[in-house]
Amino acid sequence: MKSAVIPRFLTVAYWLLNRAETVVMIDALFSQPNYLAAKKMLDVSTMRHEAIASNLSNLGTPNYKRVDVSRSFETQLSHAVASKESAQIAGIRPEIVVDANANAGRSDGNTVQLENELLKLNQNMIEHTLETQLVTGALLKLRLAITGRA
Amino acid sequence: MINLLTGIDSTAAALNAERIRMDVVSQNIANVNTTRGLDGKPYQRQQVIFDTVLRAQQAGNSAAQSVQIARIEADHRAPKMIYSPGHRDANPQGMVAMPNINIHEEMVDMIASSRTFEANLAVVKNARAMAMQTLSIGKR
Repeated sequence: MKSAVIPRFLTVAYWLLNRAETVVMIDALFSQPNYLAAKKMLDVSTMRHEAIASNLSNLGTPNYKRVDVSRSFETQLSHAVASKESAQIAGIRPEIVVDANANAGRSDGNTVQLENELLKLNQNMIEHTLETQLVTGALLKLRLAITGRA
Repeated sequence: MINLLTGIDSTAAALNAERIRMDVVSQNIANVNTTRGLDGKPYQRQQVIFDTVLRAQQAGNSAAQSVQIARIEADHRAPKMIYSPGHRDANPQGMVAMPNINIHEEMVDMIASSRTFEANLAVVKNARAMAMQTLSIGKR
C-alpha cells in the first residue's frame, strides 16, 4: 500500500531532522561570520529605511528631531567581524535613535534636511542591493558545495 | 498581514497629511476675495499644524515616528482693508475688509507641500525596490 510507505518515509526524515547532529550541521551551514554579518547589515538597511521614512514624513513637523540607526552599530559590527565569532555578530542589536548631531539650521526646531534624507535614501537602497547580493552569493556557494552544480 | 514595505505606515500618513495641507491651500486661494463668509465676516486664512505620532512598535524601542495633522486653525492676522465705496460690504468710510491671505505665501506653501509629497513618494518607490530585491534573495 502506497499510503503506508509515505508516512514511514516522513517518519525517517523527521527522525533524521531531529537528531542533534543534524541540527548542529544545519545550523553550521548558516553560521559563517560573513554570512551573518551580511544578514545583519541587511537588517540594518531595512531599519535605516524605516528611520528615513519617519524623517521624510515629518519634514514639516515643528520641533521634530531626525532619527537614524545608532552610530555605535558600525563599530560594534566591525569589532564583531574582526573577532570572527558568529555568536558575537548575531548578538548585535541595532536600534533607531534620535540623531543628536543633526542640526539643519531651520528656525522651526526641525532637524531634517530634505536633500540629505533623499541622498541617504538612495545610498541606503544601493547598500541594500549590495547586501542582498552578498547573502545570495553565500547561499549560492552553499548550494554549489552541496549539489556540485552552480 | 506581514509588512513587506518598511516604513509604509509613516509614509502613508505623511502623504495623507500633505494632501490635506494642499486642500487647505487651495481653499485659501479660492477664497482670496471672499468678503463675507458664513459668519458674515471676511474669510480667514486657514493653516494646518503637523504633529508627530509615536508608532506602536511591535519590537524593540525604536524612535521611528509617524505624522498627523494636529488641527486646522485660523490665522488671526488682521484683514486687509481696501478702499472700495461701492462694495456691498464696505464700512461707512468706504473701506472693505478683505481676507488676510497673501497669495505668494500660499504659492510657497503649495510648492513646499508638493515637494514633501514627492519626497515621500520616493520613499515608497525605494521601499518597493528593496522589497523586490529581498524577495529575490537566493536566485541567480
